[in-house]
Amino acid sequence: MLEFKYSNVEREIEVYGFDYAVKSHCRMCHGGCGVFVYVKDGKIAKIAGDPDCPINHGTLCSKGLASAQLVYHPDRLTYPVKRIGHKGSGKWERISWDEAIDAIAERILDYKDKYGAESIVFGYGTGRENEAVIYRIANLLGSPNVLTAGHFCYGPRISSSIITMGTNPIIEYEGFPKCIMMWGNNVTISNPDCYKGEPFSVALDAGAKLIVVDPRFTKPASRANIWLQLRPGTDPALAYGILNVIVNEGLYDKDFVENHVYGWEPFVKRVNEYTLERVEEITWVPKEKIREAARLFATSKPAVIQWGVAIEQQINCVDNDRLLMFIMGLTGNIDAEGGQVLYRTPPIVNVGQFGAHAMLPREQAQKRLGGDRFRLASRFAIITPKVVWDAILDEKPYPVKMLFFISSNPLMTRANAKEVYRALEKVDFMAVSDFFITPTAELADIVLPAATWLEMDYIGDFWKRHGYILPRRKVVQIGECLSDHEMLNRLGKKIGQEQFWWDTFEGGLDFILQPMGIKWNDFNQMDYVRGPVRHFKYRKYGFSTPTRKFELCSTILEKMGYDPLPQHREVPESPVSAPELYKEYPYILITGARQPGFFHTENRQLPWLRSLHRDPIVQIHPDAAANEGIKEGDWVVIESPRGKVRQRAQFFAGMDKRIVSAQHAWWFPEKKDPGHGWAESNINILTDNAYEGCDPTFGATNIRTLLCKIYPEKKEAAHE
Amino acid sequence: MNKYTLKVDENSCWGCKSCEVACKQEHNTPNDVKFIYVSEDGPKYVNGKLDFTYRINMCKHCDDPPCASICPAEAIKKRDDGIVILNEDECNGCGSCIEVCPYNAISFDEEKGVARKCNLCYFRIDNGLYPACADNVCLAHCIYFGETDKIDQVIKEKPWLQRRVEQAMMERARQTKEED
Ligand code: SF4
Ligand code: SF4
Repeated sequence: MLEFKYSNVEREIEVYGFDYAVKSHCRMCHGGCGVFVYVKDGKIAKIAGDPDCPINHGTLCSKGLASAQLVYHPDRLTYPVKRIGHKGSGKWERISWDEAIDAIAERILDYKDKYGAESIVFGYGTGRENEAVIYRIANLLGSPNVLTAGHFCYGPRISSSIITMGTNPIIEYEGFPKCIMMWGNNVTISNPDCYKGEPFSVALDAGAKLIVVDPRFTKPASRANIWLQLRPGTDPALAYGILNVIVNEGLYDKDFVENHVYGWEPFVKRVNEYTLERVEEITWVPKEKIREAARLFATSKPAVIQWGVAIEQQINCVDNDRLLMFIMGLTGNIDAEGGQVLYRTPPIVNVGQFGAHAMLPREQAQKRLGGDRFRLASRFAIITPKVVWDAILDEKPYPVKMLFFISSNPLMTRANAKEVYRALEKVDFMAVSDFFITPTAELADIVLPAATWLEMDYIGDFWKRHGYILPRRKVVQIGECLSDHEMLNRLGKKIGQEQFWWDTFEGGLDFILQPMGIKWNDFNQMDYVRGPVRHFKYRKYGFSTPTRKFELCSTILEKMGYDPLPQHREVPESPVSAPELYKEYPYILITGARQPGFFHTENRQLPWLRSLHRDPIVQIHPDAAANEGIKEGDWVVIESPRGKVRQRAQFFAGMDKRIVSAQHAWWFPEKKDPGHGWAESNINILTDNAYEGCDPTFGATNIRTLLCKIYPEKKEAAHE
Repeated sequence: MNKYTLKVDENSCWGCKSCEVACKQEHNTPNDVKFIYVSEDGPKYVNGKLDFTYRINMCKHCDDPPCASICPAEAIKKRDDGIVILNEDECNGCGSCIEVCPYNAISFDEEKGVARKCNLCYFRIDNGLYPACADNVCLAHCIYFGETDKIDQVIKEKPWLQRRVEQAMMERARQTKEED
């Protein structure tokens, strides 16, 4: 038999006549997966996983595999353009990079002069390793307003873990946890920040028990020992239920509680307010199951919680994160081997230092939009989107005149999309940097061509908390595309920040690596570097919090005037909180479950990935569908008090009949009119962004759970 | 008896569809032509319990392939090593094979006007490379390729799992030494 070997690089090169292979790592999501990029005649010919990469162990998701289709897509923007028709006219004219950068710089200086630096808002979407440069340019300019997904994605995990225990606890899958609780997440599809599906899958095959908390019967739920099918949005109550069992049955780690926590007594008092009877009533989860899950988790050592973004896009965002951390902590799994480790990155200039937060003048920081209301977010330089739309539309508390979105498509991804549209339509000046002219970019004045991960050198994952950094290596140059880092490096020098930027961004890479005593050229020769892995560091040094303890009662939140203990709040639109509305909108709508191949708004124009999903899909229970006269595959209308959209019905028997589950971020790049169908199926037309519905400390918008009605499209046509 | 077999342990599949895209990358087929595709079976009740399995559909390289028997152009042949190859150059586009395939594994390529299916990446196999979907793309490690008479045993024993566990333990041992 022939000798078969996975990812046989030499042989691939020989057999296919590739010229060479470049070792790099992907960033089609937050990144991290090691790859080989095969090149033939100067073009990317194939992408395959790197079996030696400790993050993905050679496996790759569909997005990574399809990256070459992004690089060479015929619709890609490959040079800067400026708009020559009215907003949304789709009329563009090619300009040079110099002209583009000069025009943007001129606007920035002009608005700063007339309205203050705070009138200029920079924005990015999910963290795509450009966050450090974007914060840097904004802080140096004096703008406290950077609008990111961070208000309801990962930002809360970072911030709430910092105030609780100093940093974000990451599962040590390679230590083979004995029990995994997967909470509102499906790591095998979503690969959330700091995680990939492969190590989870391996740990499960190696014998870990599995508890799945999800309103839907996902594939992981089908392999779970216990599935807790909660009512959407009731996560804090369920977490309290589990904590109630752990506390009252004495299943917690006694040493940890005695020596390392702050606020135990008030916490226990709060826990006892959440009796299992009450929790069952709130969450729909039978109390016997809660008890069983709590016991299994607390008696398995080590045990871990696999989380993701779903629990953060809710009114209880920060409290959800904290309560899950309490479960990790009280069961003794924080910093334990095979538990959730507080990893350290190698000595580099970290993302906060590079972001130049210390350079933002105090009086400018005080002007941060929404800073009075969402004080925890503001402490971490994060703002909720609505404050920006309000400042554009009502000019309150001051006018925002300019937006600069870098790899962000807020028209599709932020709540209350109609309001977003009005704001983008009105704003005085908008620049966008992206791969394509997206629905958001169609409303811009200037659009810049962004480089993909295959077109840049970078120090990957240096803002993650798993402790690794990896070199990303430039493989090709496409048109005039520039990486966000290089682009902002040029812009920074045009707006009076010359001394803080470099000739080319390679200087920035050297700067990041300086504390390690190496340069990019040295790092470029390495595979990866990981910070030292140590366990139970708190036993020696305490936790990095004001009390040096693991804070159940948060002294920081208390100082800010918030309840120091987590609580369960009903989501603003639920059968419990809005019974009248529920009569008219009789379904609980959940949104945002991940689809393989797509990353939010991305990749719908890549044929290999679009072939996985042609149309936007809303899942409905077959019994509910029968009630509404909906057949499988029908186009249906989903409607909330804010508007309606169309998606195709798919039957899904693995959830409560009262729930429907719609996909998010759908637009149609194949539609060549400038709207690209942005309002047709965009679920954020239905979601709300009212301040009262946001997380009170962080401003996370509650986009995961609301009320809706659903009916066949044909019926609507007959009515009209 | 086939020499080589590709087999998917469906119970372990997570439905991520990387295998579909790995195949697309190798063969660059149009949207509707899929040599391998993943579909949902469930959630549904099986013996009173909810169940949810992903099914992976592809050519099974049958012992006695009906597609080969029916093809008027004799474009489909089973090799000695068991791989059933549809030769697109010889296909006349009549579509009879599509009708008779019991597994829905053959599709019609409108662009080329021919029938197409998984030929088990025979070009790769002949050159000592794993078929594209089986080349360690799968996060579940559930796509197995190997000698036919051993494959069920391999699936049962999961040698890759043993290797991954050992690897991780070695890495942990290295770290522990550092820690001391
Ligand atoms: S999970 Fe997919 S998109 Fe994310 S880094 Fe890995 S291969 Fe790339
Ligand atoms: S790559 Fe593996 S886990 Fe993903 S769909 Fe294919 S067989 Fe299933």
